[in-house]
Amino acid sequence: MTKISARQSSAAETAPVDETADYYRESPWYPYALIAPTMVTLTVVALLPFLYMGWISLHEARYGQIGDFAGFSNFMTLLGDARFWNSMKVAGLFVAIAVPIEFMLGLVGALVLSQNIRFRNVLVPFLFIPSMMAPIIVGLVWKTMLAGSWGFFSYNILERFGILSGTSVFASPDLALYGLIFVDVWQWTPFMVLTFFAGMQALPASPFRAAQVDGANPVQIFFRLTLPMLAPLLFVIGLLRLIDAFKIYDTIYILTNGGPGITTESPSVLGYKYTFDFWEIGTASALAVVIWIIFFAFCNIFYQIAKRRLNVF
Amino acid sequence: MNLKMGCAAGLSAVALVAAGPAFAWTYEEAAAPYKGVEISILDEVTPLQEQFADIVPQFEEETGIKVNYQLMNHFEVINRGQADMLSGRGEYDAVMAHSLQVGLLMDAGVLLPIEDFVKDEKLVNPEFDVDDLIDPAFKSLAYLDDTLYSFLNWNYNMVYWGRNDLLTHPDEQAAFEEKYGYKLAPATTFQQLHDIAEFFTRPAGETLAGETLDSDFYGIVMEGMNGGGTYVPVWQIFIKNSGGDIFDADGHPTFDTPEVIAGLKMYGDLWAFSPPGQAEYSLIDVPTVMGNGIAAQSIAYSDFVLGIDREGASALHGQFVYGAPPTHEGNEAYHSAGEPSAYFISRHSDNPEATFLFLQWAAEKKTQEALLSSGVGVPVRDGSWAELMTKGKELSGLYDAMKASMAGIEATPKAPRWAQISDAMNRVFQQVGLGQLTAEEAAAQLQQDVTAICDPCLIQ
Repeated sequence: MTKISARQSSAAETAPVDETADYYRESPWYPYALIAPTMVTLTVVALLPFLYMGWISLHEARYGQIGDFAGFSNFMTLLGDARFWNSMKVAGLFVAIAVPIEFMLGLVGALVLSQNIRFRNVLVPFLFIPSMMAPIIVGLVWKTMLAGSWGFFSYNILERFGILSGTSVFASPDLALYGLIFVDVWQWTPFMVLTFFAGMQALPASPFRAAQVDGANPVQIFFRLTLPMLAPLLFVIGLLRLIDAFKIYDTIYILTNGGPGITTESPSVLGYKYTFDFWEIGTASALAVVIWIIFFAFCNIFYQIAKRRLNVF
Repeated sequence: MNLKMGCAAGLSAVALVAAGPAFAWTYEEAAAPYKGVEISILDEVTPLQEQFADIVPQFEEETGIKVNYQLMNHFEVINRGQADMLSGRGEYDAVMAHSLQVGLLMDAGVLLPIEDFVKDEKLVNPEFDVDDLIDPAFKSLAYLDDTLYSFLNWNYNMVYWGRNDLLTHPDEQAAFEEKYGYKLAPATTFQQLHDIAEFFTRPAGETLAGETLDSDFYGIVMEGMNGGGTYVPVWQIFIKNSGGDIFDADGHPTFDTPEVIAGLKMYGDLWAFSPPGQAEYSLIDVPTVMGNGIAAQSIAYSDFVLGIDREGASALHGQFVYGAPPTHEGNEAYHSAGEPSAYFISRHSDNPEATFLFLQWAAEKKTQEALLSSGVGVPVRDGSWAELMTKGKELSGLYDAMKASMAGIEATPKAPRWAQISDAMNRVFQQVGLGQLTAEEAAAQLQQDVTAICDPCLIQ
């Protein structure tokens, strides 16, 4: 103990004192200086393009050529287009079904993994596989599995045994969206499992030991300890997945391209069509702004509820 | 072709030919001022363009102009090429554009007419025979009123594609004749197309050409995908050969006519004999299904057929028969389906003269002969047919079908909002096939939808 103190004392005496560094650290501008590079980068790559998009949305813009100020006419065109409302309905239905299923399965999977099951170390890397795949690869995989008449799964099981005779999942207006939801659940449930499992592993052990000593059963432990302690993680991951699911593009593009008809046309797919098929850049920008406003409002409400009611943040 | 366009084409041809014997024109001399210049050309990749890439160095040798010849897939070349021209970035001096894109690009003013170049004796080859370019594809594509924008470079066309082994099988022929009262043969009319489709649609367990089927077999397969090119054969073959069309002479939508309804009904009825996944099939899936042997006949793009009907590509190679796409019985004005395409010079090109030389060279007879020398290709010149048929005897039936098909192919009308119009057609045509809309409902809905997009729809 004495030796250590002597060494510390010696180091303190010999180390040069950087008074300039202390001066800057005490400056009220120091934190801002630290985050300045990030803020500049974000301004250039995110804020400026966003502001430019907002500016375009208020102008006549076709063929990539920006014309006169047009007020809110692009927004009126968009809001008067039945396809926009259809796309919102598609995305809403997609999120409302896919995300809760992924959330629940993720939670159950994480609880199962927490039970020290055999081969866990082998299983966990395999769980990463779907989430590591690029959405375009996921689309191609499921196209080869569920394509009508030649897809491995649809041809050998659904059609051959008459389960869905005479149809094809992605060619059916009634089934295509549910097929996409199935693919999304397949891809993102393992990610939820692993995230929730990691969160559970990081929880402090002592409250659980105390609960066991007090005779709490597993259900009580889950609802009274695990769930409340995991709440910040659950809310953040849930919110991110919800936003991500609403933006779905790649998988739809590969599997249905928004069809049959417009039954699987999400706002992202519609935005792409407005931009690169129709070259209606003004309407596309208005779509992007409207989606941003919706998410800005939604995320703020979500944040406030989580902060005030659930003490998450 | 209208009178104005005809006169303009004739004048161009005369101008090109009349200057002929005055001096010995060469590409080397014409390109001398541009030696060392690099031009960028964006083209769509298919087996044919990969072959063309092999002969582009000949142009570089002849002219000293360096060509950055890039190949991308169908959707990339459309998106990237259009984006480059519309944005004014000018990365590409010329971009291959399908006729469906031309209305939008012309309306945006980003295509450079080549009128001045074809009048320039230094640039134009006096022996370049413009009248040999296949019509009506060329003139309907390359002219807006009397202004020339390009030559013809790619001539995508659709053909009728059938299983010859089934159509000539004695048992099948006898059974067909007994049921329908006429001989089984490749379809030339809509009624035959329908009857053959119905006749050959059989579930697993039934017999086909003496063999027991272990999976379902279908009478026909066609494009049905939303967002693809489904509308092309429906409109250009079924509707136009039924006497209908989508615009009148002034460009006003004309979907709600009995002729359009008849064409739509014919197309929709055929879905009953198609594979269940047809609503997902694009122009790529159709030849795949035919090559896998689960359908008796099809209407498909000939360049994709060329990828299937060859040694090693399909077990059914040599078993196919071809013809021009069928028409309504008694129809006099024959229409077929296809997509004439060309390289168009960007208005933002820094080297338009050098690029024009490339366009001209690409459409030259000797270049086309070099391109078609392997016996596989889609000609843009009437004079190339003999060369192709000699070299490619094995597929002479397909080339006959192509030639017959091209006689009825016109470029897409120059409508600036064609992407929206075709999107609406794809969507509604698919719903007819899926049984969600009747032909009458579809025609009424399209009239309403397209009128909301544009009326009139053609460049004014």
